[in-house]
Amino acid sequence: MATPVPDPEAAAAAGLIQEFPPAKLYPLIELPVPQFITPAADYRAGIPIVLDLGTRQTRAGFATDSAPRFEFPTQIARYRDRKILRTFTLIGSDANLDANTRQAAKSPFDGALVANWEYLETIMDYVFVKMGVSSQGRIDNPIVMSEMLAAPLAQHKHMQELLFETFSVPSATFGIDALFSYHYNNGSNGLVISSGHETTHVIPVVDGRGILNQSKRLNWGGHQASSFLLNLLQLKYPHTPAKITPWQAEMLVREHCYTAPVSYGDEVEHYLDRDDGFDERNHIIQAPFTEVIAPVKSEEELAKIAERRKESGRKLQEQAAKIRLEKLQQKEQELEYYRHIENKSDQVSAKEFKRLLDAEGLSDENELTKIIKNLDKSIRRSRKQDLGDGEEESDAEEMTFPLLDIPDDQLDSEQIKQKRHQRLLKSNYDARMRAKAEKEREQEKKEEEERKDEEWRERDLQGWIKDRRDQRASIMNRMKEKQRLKADLNNRRSLASQMRMKSIANLASDSPNAGTTTPTGANSAGSARKRRREDGEDDGFGVDDSDWAVYRDIANASDTEEDDEMAESIRKIEEQLMVYDPNFSLDTSLEAQNNWMNSLVHAFLRGSRPFDPSSRAEAHQLHLNVERVRVPEVLFQPSIAGIDQAGIVELASDVLSRRLSKNDSAKVCKDVFLTGGYSLLEGLDERMRHELRAALPVDTELGIRRAEDAILDAWKGMRKWVNEEENLKNHMLTREEYLEYGPEYMKEHKMSNKALV
Amino acid sequence: MASTTPPSSGSAQFTLFDADITMAPKPFRNPSHKTPTRRIKNSKQIVSDEIKRIQSLPDEARTAALVDTPTYMNVEAPPSVVPRKWWCDITGLKAPYRMPGNGMRYHNKEIYEVIKHLPPGVDQQYLQLRSANVVLR
Repeated sequence: MATPVPDPEAAAAAGLIQEFPPAKLYPLIELPVPQFITPAADYRAGIPIVLDLGTRQTRAGFATDSAPRFEFPTQIARYRDRKILRTFTLIGSDANLDANTRQAAKSPFDGALVANWEYLETIMDYVFVKMGVSSQGRIDNPIVMSEMLAAPLAQHKHMQELLFETFSVPSATFGIDALFSYHYNNGSNGLVISSGHETTHVIPVVDGRGILNQSKRLNWGGHQASSFLLNLLQLKYPHTPAKITPWQAEMLVREHCYTAPVSYGDEVEHYLDRDDGFDERNHIIQAPFTEVIAPVKSEEELAKIAERRKESGRKLQEQAAKIRLEKLQQKEQELEYYRHIENKSDQVSAKEFKRLLDAEGLSDENELTKIIKNLDKSIRRSRKQDLGDGEEESDAEEMTFPLLDIPDDQLDSEQIKQKRHQRLLKSNYDARMRAKAEKEREQEKKEEEERKDEEWRERDLQGWIKDRRDQRASIMNRMKEKQRLKADLNNRRSLASQMRMKSIANLASDSPNAGTTTPTGANSAGSARKRRREDGEDDGFGVDDSDWAVYRDIANASDTEEDDEMAESIRKIEEQLMVYDPNFSLDTSLEAQNNWMNSLVHAFLRGSRPFDPSSRAEAHQLHLNVERVRVPEVLFQPSIAGIDQAGIVELASDVLSRRLSKNDSAKVCKDVFLTGGYSLLEGLDERMRHELRAALPVDTELGIRRAEDAILDAWKGMRKWVNEEENLKNHMLTREEYLEYGPEYMKEHKMSNKALV
Repeated sequence: MASTTPPSSGSAQFTLFDADITMAPKPFRNPSHKTPTRRIKNSKQIVSDEIKRIQSLPDEARTAALVDTPTYMNVEAPPSVVPRKWWCDITGLKAPYRMPGNGMRYHNKEIYEVIKHLPPGVDQQYLQLRSANVVLR
């Protein structure tokens, strides 16, 4: 995007420059240093292992723990060190150990689904290693795992295969993370809105059981939001040297984005206005950078350098003076020599003198006198220069042309020659004089005009102001017209462009000004021109000066000279208006209109302060303003990100008012429950309250609450669920059942997906 | 090569050798089980397989799956029925205008100037953010 170049001088001239307090900067967060997870030492067989396998993070722990033992990003890096010929497999935050492995890190997920089961198996290995599982050939613990809503059967089947075949677990079960989270928060009737890393789910729950066939999935989560923000920033600052990683973009969403409290339109309406709150709305992210520090010289060194420079300057001056002096001396000698020859003309005979002149390579006495005169002049000039006084050599001394008035027949051949020379000189002189007079006349005219202008102004201020304003408007129009034309020329099909091609064709054609005749051929052009010259025909081109403009028109280059001229005249008129027109203020001037203070784009890109392109720090700054609301808004208006799905409010109100029975709906409305990592967005609950209130009948009892811990509650819910005796006894799929019914069999319970036949 | 004493939990001082999972002892794995090779499918393939699976079900079960049972496909949120609002493709502000030619939405004449002078191709990048770009095949 083009950045309007701020012109500090213009701002200063307009009196708009002001001091700014230092801006509040938010640092770009760096990836945390990975921490080692030691395998658990207190492993005991039989205690259920609770595993929340999320697309972003995986959490695991024993059912006896109050919180997961560890959590790590669900990623795997395979990296081969070619020097020692060894391949490392690193899981979770271990993959962030060094730059090579960080680059190789991949997720087993594609979107919300497990795409790579090799990776997933390795990640499960890692989990069980870190849980300290020490049983031989099998895992002696029931497993509780999370699963996405309505996962394809193949996903479920693969996961069961993995658990029962590869790890030989005694029993396992799967449930929807959002429902577990709600279970942990003691919910039984409510609408669960779970916004995770890859998806957002809306699940109504009645009597503790999810109504899954009325549930909906929106394909938008924290991951999509952060890559949306990243794309926006890359387009906003295409040339920034600052590099943002996807992880950092995720952090930016978490730290800086918030949901518009009432409506997006209201929130952004005045977002970029330069009012008092703008600095708070505009978050400046400072990416790390290295300041290039120019070595600063000490006072002493500077003095030394100055001294040295002076010294060398003086030396040069001396040298030049010496050379001048030598030249002068040489010239003086020459002058003396020629004078000597000149003097001889009186003493020796004419013939002898002629021979002397010949020896010098001179044709006659005149040439000698000319040389002498020239030498004399240059000597005088250089002496003057040495003396340093800039006395203007008056060229305007009255010149005399005595020979011109004498008729030719009274002169000898030599004098005729001289006379011709004098005539030339005289015409030259006359021309100079005429030019001078012209200049003076012009000066007078100008003064006269100014005087008249002033008179007019004093007589009729309003009329004068109107005239000036009209002038200004007409120049502005011309400038605009030029800009438009320039833009049009870029488009090959525009009228301006076609006119230009026509003029070019016309100039190149055999018969100019006859656009209808087509050139017969390229080779005929030369002969035609010749023919025209022979005929002595003239098309009259150039009689009018404006004819030449055709070349400027076809040149298609920006005419900076004319632009400058127009800008200058506007500036002059504005200066006058500023003095005499009470209604003309700084804000209306062209410069102020071009000023960055009034630029929306500048506010969007650079915030409330002037931008200094030379500052390294500012080059590494990213301004988050509208994006802070725009990115979270996708949840409500997925169309912003090109997703052809209904927003969460539309989904929720549809479920509440149309899909549930009246009785259920009334119960469910009382408890709208927000969970999942992306639901931590600031203001999401407020916005939901506001929008649902507007969408539901007036007397609806509406309750909105957030999960206690939107990220960990799914794990805690799974732990709570498995610690309930009945669940562990009746709702786990046992090994025997698995062997009997096969890997596609699914055991349903309150938290689980519906069995897909 | 590996350090003799394992690093303590929570320590940031550990190497690739400590972290490498391939070498860690995994006694819990079923030694007789052989993992099938190449189990990689992207989500598109997974979804199309699921569609095929449901279509190949016996009639009764298929009707049930399409109507009553939640499947990956039918829990997908439907398109919105509320009128779409337009926001400036560059700033995100209200966008009352539409650029003829590429269809970009813009806020005011200043943004219009910006759009007009975008380098070639960048307008499509902006449109891609809302999947409205022209895709040449």
